[in-house]
Amino acid sequence: MVLLQLLVNGIQTGTIYALTAIGFALIFGSTRIFHFAHGAIFVIAAYVFKFVIGDLSLHWGIASIAAVSAAVLAGLLVNFLIYVPIQRHEGSYFTVFVASFGVVIVVQNAIAMIFGRGFVAIETSLSNAVEVFSGLFMAPLFGIVIACSAIVLTGLHLILTRTHFGIALRALSQNPELVRTFGLSTRRLSAYAFVLGSALVVPAAIFTGATSGLNPSIGLHIMLISLVATIAGGIGSIWGAACIALAIGVAENLVLWQLDTQWSEAVAFAFLLVFLIFRPAGLFRLASTH
Amino acid sequence: MSVYLLNIGVFICIYGILALTLNVLIGYAGVFTLAHAAFFGIGAYVATFVAMNFSASLVIVLIASVLTAGILSLIIALPALRVRDEYFVVISLAIQILCVTVFSEWRSFTGGLGGIVNIPLPELFFGTISTPMEFFLLALGCMAVITVIIGLIVRGSFGRSLMAVRDNESAALALGKNVARIKTLAAALSSGLAAVAGVVYAYYLSFINVQSFTLDTSVLVMAMVIIGGTGTMFGPIVGAALLTMLPNALSYVPFLPPTEIGSIQQILYGLAMILMMIFRPGGIVGRSRSKRDEK
Amino acid sequence: MRYGSKEAENVVTTAISPAQASSDTAGIALRISNLSKSFGGLQAIQDITLDLHTGIITSLVGPNGAGKTTLFNTITGHIKPDTGTVQFEGRSLVGLPPWKIARMGVMRTFQDLRLFMHMSVEDNVLAAMEPRSWFWQPAGRQANNARRERTAAILKETGLSAKSGSLAGSLSYAERKFLSLARIMATDARLWLLDEPAAGLDPPSYELFQDLLRNQVQRGISVCIIEHNLDIITAISDRIAFLDQGRVIAEGEPSKILEDPKLIEIYFGGGQA
Repeated sequence: MVLLQLLVNGIQTGTIYALTAIGFALIFGSTRIFHFAHGAIFVIAAYVFKFVIGDLSLHWGIASIAAVSAAVLAGLLVNFLIYVPIQRHEGSYFTVFVASFGVVIVVQNAIAMIFGRGFVAIETSLSNAVEVFSGLFMAPLFGIVIACSAIVLTGLHLILTRTHFGIALRALSQNPELVRTFGLSTRRLSAYAFVLGSALVVPAAIFTGATSGLNPSIGLHIMLISLVATIAGGIGSIWGAACIALAIGVAENLVLWQLDTQWSEAVAFAFLLVFLIFRPAGLFRLASTH
Repeated sequence: MSVYLLNIGVFICIYGILALTLNVLIGYAGVFTLAHAAFFGIGAYVATFVAMNFSASLVIVLIASVLTAGILSLIIALPALRVRDEYFVVISLAIQILCVTVFSEWRSFTGGLGGIVNIPLPELFFGTISTPMEFFLLALGCMAVITVIIGLIVRGSFGRSLMAVRDNESAALALGKNVARIKTLAAALSSGLAAVAGVVYAYYLSFINVQSFTLDTSVLVMAMVIIGGTGTMFGPIVGAALLTMLPNALSYVPFLPPTEIGSIQQILYGLAMILMMIFRPGGIVGRSRSKRDEK
Repeated sequence: MRYGSKEAENVVTTAISPAQASSDTAGIALRISNLSKSFGGLQAIQDITLDLHTGIITSLVGPNGAGKTTLFNTITGHIKPDTGTVQFEGRSLVGLPPWKIARMGVMRTFQDLRLFMHMSVEDNVLAAMEPRSWFWQPAGRQANNARRERTAAILKETGLSAKSGSLAGSLSYAERKFLSLARIMATDARLWLLDEPAAGLDPPSYELFQDLLRNQVQRGISVCIIEHNLDIITAISDRIAFLDQGRVIAEGEPSKILEDPKLIEIYFGGGQA
């Protein structure tokens, strides 16, 4: 049952994509910064995890903490050293985007120089697939990915709807003035958005390392998916981004039923083009004061 | 003149053309695109196809390449430019990646991953172009002509239309400017002329393959435009010269391992892009950060 | 920026008295019928019916949030109305893209100016003057020169000659307001919708502004202006339309409207959003 296998694979891939995309959607949605360097944060988190658990042979808990710390630190550095100075004097999306892109290039090549350009994988027995029934192979990792993303998404939803912090974050993109009148610092909120968004990337980075493997240019690929998902899902809608990302993952795998692997990347973009031409506002449009 | 220098000269001109044409979109129209390498490739592949199957005459090949790239760009741009600027970046990324996939898969036209070899020499009415000096003059000539064409257009009313659209699209609309048409024309001009670089490239190397037309190349040309400066005509050329000579310059630095030069190069211009955006968004040739006073 | 009365004299010819531009004799430039627009449940404008007469200045007044700017946006095509029609010189505007409406002769300025900040003052005006969106303008070099001369004349009228080569972003507040006006003067629009064009100007600048406007109206331009400043409104309006909560609640001669106690109360007291 090839199709079913592809579907299962697709759900796994899509869930991982969704985890990455919501981090970007959160940052872009609340700060309106075109944070292309999100892909660089992903790569950093993934390689730090791999280094700690593989080369240093430490427990995965320690590796996770290291990865989260690295991701959050990197996200904050990019925000304070690069975005804030730019926004102080000009801050057009173009300037920010170019600088962000520069970060991706630097990180990608630095990682290539340190860790090499080939594919590396995070070795774990959890990724060994078991034949569940005739023709269908699933690994325990699948269950972990699904469970983890359910926890993360629920947690994020609760934070954004039930806590003051979360509501302020959502208000930030719609109406920065309103946030200021409530005595909150927009700059500090933005920083928190980066902290949360960067941390969100870590589970996806770890899972990617365990499933399809890592290489330095994976940041770019992940970034494209996140971008497409955020845009097609509708700016400001984290659920929209998650849904589209999941759909892209599924479609990427289903496409393999008929076409070669080279075309699977094109799938994501076919999505984007279709959406942008027919529904430019995205899947879940949020009214915003422009 | 030394063949080595002429070689660098040819590449500076080729990338100079790419940077100049990209600047029409990025610097003057304010349209940020990552698909420039795709049109570079389209120019090169069409040139190769025509030269190997019909005629190696330079004029015919140039016309075919420029027209193909321009028309394809029109077709893509017409729907794509309707969307918001930020979205267009992603669409251009999509186009770039799709083109690379097509370049890799359409073996009968592009030779697939292996590329095409034995591209004939360009023919003009007085003979063929074969020596390094002749190629350099060809490349230089093309860059000069394109500089003039773009200069004329950009200094005239179309340049003002472009900049108006860049500076404030809604105001431009309210003053009667057909913004969609302006952007589309700019895209066609930019992509069509970028194909010239592809023609020169294909003829000069006698060999092309998809590796030269990937996203990396788009990013490299973008770095040239940004580092050189977007607001002027000569900024992109300066940027092209700098970044083309960079790998050669790096090979002279003693303690750098040769296998890592590619990465180091990219790190350097990545850093340059970041620093430029923070301290000197106008680029090397452009204005410095005194824009702050204008707010 | 101060304007001496000498400059003002050069600009003013003869003033039109409101009586001469009475609605009985002038034509209708813009006819708005039953125009409505709501944004997700919020009714911004409701059932607006209004005529803008040719060759006079009509002021749109009303408290904040009354829907004045929304009305402008709907006329110019930036927003699509839910119901209603807009007719300019007999032709319907609803559904047309903004640039087409602008080409037909209806142009506007913005409350936040929206100048081309990285272009020079001269280029701002030239860009507005050049109609075609192709690579070259029609009628070649001669027309080009004529345009440059006309640009210089406009810059002189608006007092911006000295700043002709400066970037729009480097101008003072008052200079920017006048540049916004200069841009629309450069077009061949016959109906101007000006959104708070004089807000924040000092009294000498008011004078120049009023004189400029009167001058244009004399040349046949119809003007509709959103304005809060009562001095300006009383000085230049030939007719006034009063909007509140998305509806036109009064329209007519300035003397009638500005003395109506009910309207005064709404304007200064009542409808605060």
